[in-house]
Amino acid sequence: MANNYLTTESKKLATWYFTFAAIIFGAQLLFGLVAATQYVMPGFLFEIVDFSVARMIHINALIVWMVFAMMGSVYWLLPDETGIETVGIGLGKLLYWVFVAAIVVVVLVYLLVQVGPADQTTIWFINEGREYLEAPRWADIGIVVVVLGFIYNLYATGMKGNRSGIITVLMADMLAFAGIYLAGMGYTDNISVDQYWWWWVIHLWVEATWEVFVGSIAAYGLITMIGAHRKVVEMWLWIEVAMLFGSGILGIGHHYFWIGTPEYWWEIGALFSALEPLPLVAMFIHVLYDWGKQQGAQEAQGKEVSVITNKPAFTWFVLQAFGNFLGAGVWGFFHTFPQVNLYTHGTQFTSAHGHLAFFGAYATILIGMFYLAVQGKNGIKVMHATKKSIWATSMIFGGVLGMTVALTLAGYVQVLVSRAQMGATWAGYFDGQAGIWFAQGMDWRLVMGVVTFIGFIILIQDLLSIGKAAHHER
Amino acid sequence: MAKKSVWSDNRFWQRSAGWITGFAAMLLIWLTFDTIPQIMMGSDSDIQNGVTKRVPSPTVINYKITYEMDTKRGHEIPVIGGANAEGTSSFQEKELFFGRDDWSEEEAAELLNLGKLGSQAKNCMNCHTLLGNGAYYAPDLTKSWLDPAWGPEGSMQAMTGKDTKEEAMAEFLINPSQYPTHARMMPNLGITAAEAKGLVAFLKHMSSIDTNGFPRNFGKIKGAVHGK
Amino acid sequence: MVQEALILQDIHIDDFLTIFVSASLVLVFGGFYVGIYAAVKVGLLKKWTMPLGYGFWILTGYCLYLMGSLMHVNDFTAKALVVAAIGLLLLPHAVYYMQDRVHEENEH
Repeated sequence: MANNYLTTESKKLATWYFTFAAIIFGAQLLFGLVAATQYVMPGFLFEIVDFSVARMIHINALIVWMVFAMMGSVYWLLPDETGIETVGIGLGKLLYWVFVAAIVVVVLVYLLVQVGPADQTTIWFINEGREYLEAPRWADIGIVVVVLGFIYNLYATGMKGNRSGIITVLMADMLAFAGIYLAGMGYTDNISVDQYWWWWVIHLWVEATWEVFVGSIAAYGLITMIGAHRKVVEMWLWIEVAMLFGSGILGIGHHYFWIGTPEYWWEIGALFSALEPLPLVAMFIHVLYDWGKQQGAQEAQGKEVSVITNKPAFTWFVLQAFGNFLGAGVWGFFHTFPQVNLYTHGTQFTSAHGHLAFFGAYATILIGMFYLAVQGKNGIKVMHATKKSIWATSMIFGGVLGMTVALTLAGYVQVLVSRAQMGATWAGYFDGQAGIWFAQGMDWRLVMGVVTFIGFIILIQDLLSIGKAAHHER
Repeated sequence: MAKKSVWSDNRFWQRSAGWITGFAAMLLIWLTFDTIPQIMMGSDSDIQNGVTKRVPSPTVINYKITYEMDTKRGHEIPVIGGANAEGTSSFQEKELFFGRDDWSEEEAAELLNLGKLGSQAKNCMNCHTLLGNGAYYAPDLTKSWLDPAWGPEGSMQAMTGKDTKEEAMAEFLINPSQYPTHARMMPNLGITAAEAKGLVAFLKHMSSIDTNGFPRNFGKIKGAVHGK
Repeated sequence: MVQEALILQDIHIDDFLTIFVSASLVLVFGGFYVGIYAAVKVGLLKKWTMPLGYGFWILTGYCLYLMGSLMHVNDFTAKALVVAAIGLLLLPHAVYYMQDRVHEENEH
């Protein structure tokens, strides 16, 4: 592009990552719409792109775009934090293309081959058939190689340049993030052992290492966008790490209630799940506190202008704090105790929680990072929102919240009819699905999914055009 | 300048975070060492000796499996081969599985392995839930082997025209779209007869796993009031 | 330790809604409490609203009690819930104390 203000290769590479992440984000929403349509019209694309295929791409695209955006975020903040160009940037670029190529091949195989015979070749080359970790074994190994290269870059840069608190947390967190993935790569004929390790990856990612990752990103955002005091922010980051890992690691117990594991996990899961919302509340308050403090200091000097240097990004960062609390906190807490989870496990409640938590905790802040990149790329000092950014933000957030509420209603019907009254049999399941509230919940979920998708299209238009708007301070 | 307090010292919090994380991680690893042996698959000699395992040997396919309330534990447990005086598995009552009740440990393990591979290769988990985990587009399969719909008086068995539960299930898996049970149908996934046999063994074995009473009241409540 | 069965009773069909609503309100009220406390401390709200904040904490406690009793939790879980409620009560005080300390040390 003509107006490129990016002075480091690391930030340029970050924009590549963000671009591919945004494309995959679109794919996630598109296949989500296919799956949502199939709930309403079961014949839609039957035996062409079945629900299992649509949903597999929906949740895999989710993971992939977030991992891409997370790697992009690290490449973006590395030069700012360390004060030097990222070490091994050539390797970073090479691995980017390797990763993109691998993802494209995996998705094409998902779509065109879909299923294979019941042997190891399917596990190695088509799909592993384990929710979220469907990527075939060859891709698993590829991902490990790519991530090892990424971690090398992060460590080499962190050790050569100024190793700030944020960088230190990221270095430790990314290593754990990558290491945990190895737990999900094996095959066993014992489904209980299988799910035991499977949860190591899923839970220790989304309820521990990813949360710490967004904590670091939020810390970086507070420093760059509102000029929060680094010492305060970094102290907070350490406290958050302690609270998140302290409650999150053993919070894994709430996934071990019913998979064949011993009963003591009930107590461990209940105790640590009850603690898990506390860091989320703390993070939310911390963002507001710092914002209030900075704005107060500014106004004390007689300046009435806002301290925020990137309005759309900051909006998404605040929505992250709120969405994390709501999606992971409220929607997680009300079905986390074993006494209730016995009835809610495996119903649309889980799906409602999944939608709002993934979106609230992760999608929001990563979209915020997209806006930070647009600001940097266009050399803008203070970036204001456009009409499009406001529409996109409201439609996406409203859409996901609407889907969540609709799925919650549907889940409630399932709990009452299929579980509490009918004991979860085949007949009970379909009785629950036939409930009028369930059916309407699914209709509204589709409607809200379309709202989200339109919001996404506006978001992309905004990301492509906001840099050229005239009302920014340059 | 105010006096430095330990509470506002970054190094203090950095160390605390390290210790807390390390402690939680060690505890999880320690619990893993306790849990994994408990969920390793049992052997046929366990069954012969009347030892109940949380995940029993694949040879449970030779036995009758039911799901009964255990008053001591306060929830239902799988009962293999009929109940003893305490209401737990007695491993006595056998049941034919595809015409045999003498599947050896190797044969049963091979069948189970084929079924587990099949469940992954056919991506079952992205429509169904297994042990409650997966997608919510189709019924939970945790105790599907015990579902009355597949039993002798069940609608599913009648529909396939087969005489036994396992044959009916296998027939359905091979030709799912021939037996529409609901507007939401199971697609044809190219499951072969051998794979179907393996999958049914996998389902029967899964129903014998001690899931701490999940799902509650499975198949116990008939003709409940239609909910909201 | 006496082994006590954790799940003995079925949840009554009419109690589910109350359980879900009260469990959600636990965090909503808890959030209000922490929010009001923080807002008063940074000067966004007047001082007299503070008792309102503590009122929300009491509501949080009540919702936890309601949720716990309808779910028939055992002694252990009940204790865990009380610990969580007290943790929530102390949390904003600790946060504020520490934030204040750091700001004092770095800005004066």
